[in-house]
Amino acid sequence: MLPDEILDQLSREFPCRELQIQQLSALYSLSLPSAPLLVAHGLTATGKTSIIRSYLALSGIPYAIINSRECITGRHLLERTVSSCLDALDEDEGGPIDRRPYARTENINALLVHLQRMLEGSGKFVLVFDGIDKQREIPPTLLPALARFGELIPNLSIILITTLALPYALHKPGVPHLHFSPYPRSSLLEILSLDPPKIFLEPPSLEQYPDYTLDAAAEDDAWLWNRFLGTVWDSLSKHAGRDLISFRNTSMRLWREFVRPIVEGQFGTRDFARLMVNRRHLFQGEDAILDRIISAPSQASLTQNGVLPTTPGKTVMKRKTIQHDLPYYSTHLLIAAYLASYNPSRTDTTYFMKHTDKRKNKRKVHTTHGVTKSKHRRIPRHLLTPSPFTLDRLLAIFRSLLEGPVPQVADLYTQIATLTSLRLLVRVGGVGSADPLDAGARWRVNFGWEWVRGLGRGVGIEVGEYLVGGVDG
Amino acid sequence: MEHQRCYIYSPLESEVRPSKRQRTNIVQPQNLLAERLQTFREAWSHQEKQIQTTLENADRTTQEKILDFIKVAAQPDPEDSTTIPTGLIIAGPSIASYGPYFERLGRRIKDGTDCAYLVLSSSESPNLKTLLKNLVQKATSRAAEDDDDELLPPGASSRNGPKLLNFDLGHLQGWQKRNRAQSIVIAIQDSEAFDSNVLVEMIDLFHSWLDRLPFVLLFGIATSAESFEDRLSGNSLRYLKGQKFDVTQSDEIIEKLFSATIASAHVSLRIGPNFSRRILDRQKDHVQNVQDFLDSLKYAYMAHFYANCTSIFLKDGISFTHSSPDAFEAVRNLPSFRRWVEDKLDSLETQEIRKLLDSDRYLFDKISQQLRSSQQVLSAINIAVAFLSNVRESLQITPSVPLSSLWIRAASGEMVESPLLRETMLSIKKIPSNKFLHLLSSLRNVQEDHFSLELDTYRTELEELVKNSTDSAPLRSQHDVRNDSLRTTVVAQKVLLSKHKAALSEQDKAYSELVGRFHDEIQDYFNTTFVDPQELFLSEILIYDPKLPHIEVFQPKPRFAIERALSTPHDYLGCNCCGSSGRDGEAALSATQPATALLYQLYLESGSLINVSDLWSAFNAIGGDEDSESKTMALFQRALAELKYLGLVKPSRKKVDHVAKMMWKGL
Ligand SMILES: Nc1ncnc2c1ncn2[C@@H]1O[C@H](COP(=O)(O)OP(=O)(O)O)[C@@H](O)[C@H]1O
Ligand SMILES: [Mg+2]
Repeated sequence: MLPDEILDQLSREFPCRELQIQQLSALYSLSLPSAPLLVAHGLTATGKTSIIRSYLALSGIPYAIINSRECITGRHLLERTVSSCLDALDEDEGGPIDRRPYARTENINALLVHLQRMLEGSGKFVLVFDGIDKQREIPPTLLPALARFGELIPNLSIILITTLALPYALHKPGVPHLHFSPYPRSSLLEILSLDPPKIFLEPPSLEQYPDYTLDAAAEDDAWLWNRFLGTVWDSLSKHAGRDLISFRNTSMRLWREFVRPIVEGQFGTRDFARLMVNRRHLFQGEDAILDRIISAPSQASLTQNGVLPTTPGKTVMKRKTIQHDLPYYSTHLLIAAYLASYNPSRTDTTYFMKHTDKRKNKRKVHTTHGVTKSKHRRIPRHLLTPSPFTLDRLLAIFRSLLEGPVPQVADLYTQIATLTSLRLLVRVGGVGSADPLDAGARWRVNFGWEWVRGLGRGVGIEVGEYLVGGVDG
Repeated sequence: MEHQRCYIYSPLESEVRPSKRQRTNIVQPQNLLAERLQTFREAWSHQEKQIQTTLENADRTTQEKILDFIKVAAQPDPEDSTTIPTGLIIAGPSIASYGPYFERLGRRIKDGTDCAYLVLSSSESPNLKTLLKNLVQKATSRAAEDDDDELLPPGASSRNGPKLLNFDLGHLQGWQKRNRAQSIVIAIQDSEAFDSNVLVEMIDLFHSWLDRLPFVLLFGIATSAESFEDRLSGNSLRYLKGQKFDVTQSDEIIEKLFSATIASAHVSLRIGPNFSRRILDRQKDHVQNVQDFLDSLKYAYMAHFYANCTSIFLKDGISFTHSSPDAFEAVRNLPSFRRWVEDKLDSLETQEIRKLLDSDRYLFDKISQQLRSSQQVLSAINIAVAFLSNVRESLQITPSVPLSSLWIRAASGEMVESPLLRETMLSIKKIPSNKFLHLLSSLRNVQEDHFSLELDTYRTELEELVKNSTDSAPLRSQHDVRNDSLRTTVVAQKVLLSKHKAALSEQDKAYSELVGRFHDEIQDYFNTTFVDPQELFLSEILIYDPKLPHIEVFQPKPRFAIERALSTPHDYLGCNCCGSSGRDGEAALSATQPATALLYQLYLESGSLINVSDLWSAFNAIGGDEDSESKTMALFQRALAELKYLGLVKPSRKKVDHVAKMMWKGL
């Protein structure tokens, strides 16, 4: 393909990136000599990977891309580099290369030797390290060494793709950088309007609307989508999730809900203003910008009866820490753990010591006397981070919460271990020892006030009554 | 102590070794062991089958949904190729039953689809590298099993070229090229126990490979989908898209298993009420774990057939020649045998008694005959419990009592007198005709044998009545409160509140008569069926009820045992020297106790920071030997070292000459 054709095609595919594409074509072409090293940097979803990949594919220069996301260790990166290069050369030269000399690539030197041998006598080759700044277990010398490969192997060009520019890490001055700048609003809108989604999943029947052709529909889609994008940006994505992919996800999440009144025939396709008023609640909650595994149940069922959901953030309320019931003693263990985390240990005697008259030392929430009396208004305890406690303290509180005696069975320890693997309890101290119930170990709870209160009510314990300082509301 | 770091401690050679106590009169416990083992296997395999079907039925709906989800996910969706299909399986807090659950799920997935299925658990995935190694190994070794074209060199690593590292997903790619699985289902068994970072990295990696490897992820979740989502950070959430699946709660499954095993009508060995209550309580209080329930049950079976030599009579078709004299001797010693004989003595059947005591042959015949009839009685009880539970359910009597607790009541012989039964019978008396019809049809499912009720006649009669009724309202019996009306009259300035029976219509009268008949018959049925099983002759053979073996095996008390050994060593040593303390429980401190026990008791009396020198003087005062302080010191140091080894004390950072108390007694 001719250079101009390549440029044309790429610019059509990736609008708003003309500058970068042009620079790429200037630096890497079949006929002209190429830069030995280039750092392409930019924030996520600025098109670095896709544009460089597409460009190299079109340019006809043999190349290999090594994605650091897929390399688990530094060594892994080296091995994958060699085999990717071999694969690329195989394809380029038509015949399989003898791979025996390349069996092991243990260090950066070996990589250099292998590459030298491989590329000897062949043409130009571009090696791209994508996301090299995120590489796991990377040896500190790797980047500076890679930066010099281009000098040692004349027909090799290396492109490093990173998030930030690498002014010092390469220990080499004068490295050309190619910046992929973040897209401004106008560019984002332009890019996303390349491919507008449909308003009508099934086109309206031709008999009923004979003049609503596919072309007309596409035109409507594009028109509405464009205005919709603008609204989404201004109300939501401008503030959070500004990159292209987040913006696209947010928009796609809202789109079907947004156009539903049109599909149901309530508004016309160009009735943007009235549609906006009708659907304004969509742009008020934060649900759309949060990524979810389970897509939020469509609000269709809610709005069908003509009632608009009043509080868009409602889903947050129904969250639960655990869905199934816990065994009786596990529940008590968790409550005891919560109290051990949030009460200072010096108050334990006041709150949990059993009197001879068996009266429980509950404190009413708003007692006038007691520890809370201080001139300054304190932050309620349950809003602070939990502090660690020892196992015996947990067990002591646990026993004082229960009316009758509990046998010291091993089941109790099993439960603590289970709750730990559920991450409801977290072990903070004594991590070094292998014994999970080591007496020196310390623990912390990993759940909040709301939940433990519910848990307590399930077994008839009002947790707030045992909490030093009480809880308001 | 301060200037010497260690001593050589050489205790005096004690001349006399403590004599060991031995049981002398060894009865042969191994009597007919092989046959009993055989009998156990037959009995248990029957139960096991029941268990498997119950479990599979309990899983079915959810697993079917998961299967459908996987099938749909296997079809590539051009709209959404950038997310990994993900199933969140909410399996509840009983993580111990996850293993078997995911195994069953895997079997179903392999049978039902063309997908590869790999399970990862947290213990084998401490970090990303190990996780991947395991994954690759599981996938490729599985391929070796069911793959014929092993000879093909695996992918790119041919010709001695660069080898893939053993955690490279390229292995999986090569495997996928050869096997063309529709998708690769990876189950993360206990997702909570995984390190969040490992999960995040794994998801990122799988997402990166998604264009080459068709991954589907399943996460086993104990808490909730929301808290799982909260744990994943960064972009992981946007890489996943899927559904949530709820697994049946384990208490429901336990209830089903209970009906299928312990409360089922046809089992050879029954479990007694005490034992059943114990394992059910344990489920409720401590574990909630199907696996433990089954293990307990199996252990009960094993214990019965191993430890009870009369259990040989439970063998199917046992003949006289196969049983041993010992077994008969054992039977003659059973309490229920004695009761039986005494009853016979009261009715002066001396001849019979003599024969029972003298002739093994005669006893054998009696045993076989009686076992059969006792079995029938026990089966009848179980059926009646199912019947009762069915009645309560269809009458919607509140509170709803699970079948297991009904059964326990019946098995302990407390049913006939119980308020529960009375209440049920009362509701039957008041039943209106529409509910009655419903009840009759629902009772059809209860097994018909052992069952004299003519449900069908009731049904036809009832239908007749309803047909003749002119009213559309259901017929009511005379005990129905709605037939009473309250009437107030003022007599001599007092308000009299009196109840009056409203006049019953002809149809209602006929209906009342029908219900009354039904009620009486059922009452009769219950009264005759709910006998006390413990009273049955040979109940010791038929019913296993001891709790102690179960407690010892499944609910040990390690901490209690150590604390007890240290605080009252006499309980374990049984020696004469220490036990003389008189007052029960609290044994006084005495020099004869082991040094560690002595020190522990001093330890119990001190506060949370213990001055070692004080401890030493107290120790020396009690256990000291005037002549050789160094010996006492050696004992003291060893004792202290042992306490430290047990984790009871720790050197304190606050004060050099103090140790910190780490554990309190009784927790
Ligand atoms: N200018 C553009 N025009 C069209 N699509 C784009 C453009 N820039 C980025 N994208 C799209 O955004 C997505 C993310 O791009 P990618 O190249 O992975 O970004 P980066 O490597 O910078 O993180 C891709 O699907 C890509 O097609
Ligand atoms: Mg990229």
